[in-house]
Amino acid sequence: MIEFVNFKKNFGNKEILKGLTFKVNKGEIVFILGMSGTGKSVLLKNIVGLMRPTSGQLFVAGEDISGFKESQYYEVRKKCGMVLQSPALFESFTVFENIAFGLRRNSSFDEAEIDRRVKESLRLVQLKGVEHKWPQELSFGMQKRVSLARTLAVVPKILLFDEPTTGLDPVTTNVINKLIFDLSRELNTTSVVVSHDISCALDIADRIIVLDGGQIVAQGSPKELVKSTIPLVKDFLMEVR
Amino acid sequence: MVAATGRFLIHSYNTSLGFWFLLYQTINKIFTRPFRVKEIIKQLHFVLNESAPIVAFCVCSAAAVTIVESSFHMKIVVKNDSLVPGFAALLILRELGVVVALLLVTSRVGAGIAAEVGTMKVTEQIDAFKMLGMDPVKYIVVPRFIACILGGAVLSLIANLICLYVAMLVSQIKLGYSAGLFLTSIRGFVEMQDLCFSCIKGAVFGGVIPLVSCYFGLRCQAGPEGVGRATTNSVVVSSVAIIGLDFLLSWVFTNFY
Repeated sequence: MIEFVNFKKNFGNKEILKGLTFKVNKGEIVFILGMSGTGKSVLLKNIVGLMRPTSGQLFVAGEDISGFKESQYYEVRKKCGMVLQSPALFESFTVFENIAFGLRRNSSFDEAEIDRRVKESLRLVQLKGVEHKWPQELSFGMQKRVSLARTLAVVPKILLFDEPTTGLDPVTTNVINKLIFDLSRELNTTSVVVSHDISCALDIADRIIVLDGGQIVAQGSPKELVKSTIPLVKDFLMEVR
Repeated sequence: MVAATGRFLIHSYNTSLGFWFLLYQTINKIFTRPFRVKEIIKQLHFVLNESAPIVAFCVCSAAAVTIVESSFHMKIVVKNDSLVPGFAALLILRELGVVVALLLVTSRVGAGIAAEVGTMKVTEQIDAFKMLGMDPVKYIVVPRFIACILGGAVLSLIANLICLYVAMLVSQIKLGYSAGLFLTSIRGFVEMQDLCFSCIKGAVFGGVIPLVSCYFGLRCQAGPEGVGRATTNSVVVSSVAIIGLDFLLSWVFTNFY
């Protein structure tokens, strides 16, 4: 579904991603772990053209998108939903309008169907009665859940999560993690999750990739990673022991 | 020193290239659907509502100073201030009204746009727009561009009329010219096309403000410092661009007299 081939990304003279090669299969949940500043978010943003690769190839649904122009990325973005690090809600829209925005823009649903989907998305993230509130009236955690609902409303084939549970309470964190797992198993949604939540990665990931210094230092199933002798991986796992 | 100059030149070249590309994209997208008329009206209301009171206040002061100072110096040099209303009207219609008004719009509206767009950039709202299939240039830049062009033309007209009215009042009170004498005096100096050229200047300056502000806002670096820098840069560059364009347009318009 997503494939990186010798993928490089530089910011000026600084190399952020140094020739990554890996594949994410359809329906798979892949967690990307790594220290802050290793280029995990950069990796996600390249998949949807919010950033462009310096060199290498990037395939999404079998198509090489590495040389795409901005206008060509719109089709890629229709296939992908991305939960950004910030809630990124539009402040001049209510919660309902924020979620309905993408549906109105990218689908031919009538208002009754849009209303149903908005409410269903909010139910999935365990929010009720907030449709007519303004983003500023919600806590950070609630804004983050609305952001997730906005992404889920359009039912994308590929879901990209950039630290989806940062700033959320443990109960909501579990709900979101279960949601990522259920979407993958029930709708065969492909998910790439950038997270620092190691225990969640061990619970729901099909595969975990560990980045360090712009390179993959380890990858494998949670069971394989637990046995890893690589110091960085051991350091990460210390947290859940 | 050489390296710093080189870096500055490369940066200036990249900035101007980026700016021209944004201008090209904006003009290109003005004519594509949806036209978002409601948003344009909302932005126009913002431009006029934010700027009109302060523009009115400042041009009143500028007009009064122009009359008083011109009279003072003419009396010293040529011992006669009968030409003051005419010269003042010429100065007001060709330069003062529109430049003062649009420089004030830069500091009020331009700074506001840069801060708003910059905040949207650092809170990833621009990325969210893209993810939901919206083009940020079409959605953010185009309505502000059209609104500021219209607003610039309207504000320059308002500023000129207020300026002339205050000049007439000050001439009456301070110099003793009646309204009739003032109007007769300016008739020999200014023509209707001066007002038209002033409105054209207002529209051009108005177009520059959102383009520069959105350019810096869309390239804003993360954090409050980044938003602050984008806002400052947008005001400085817009002001310099307005003064430079004023010279260029004045020179072009002299060919039509």
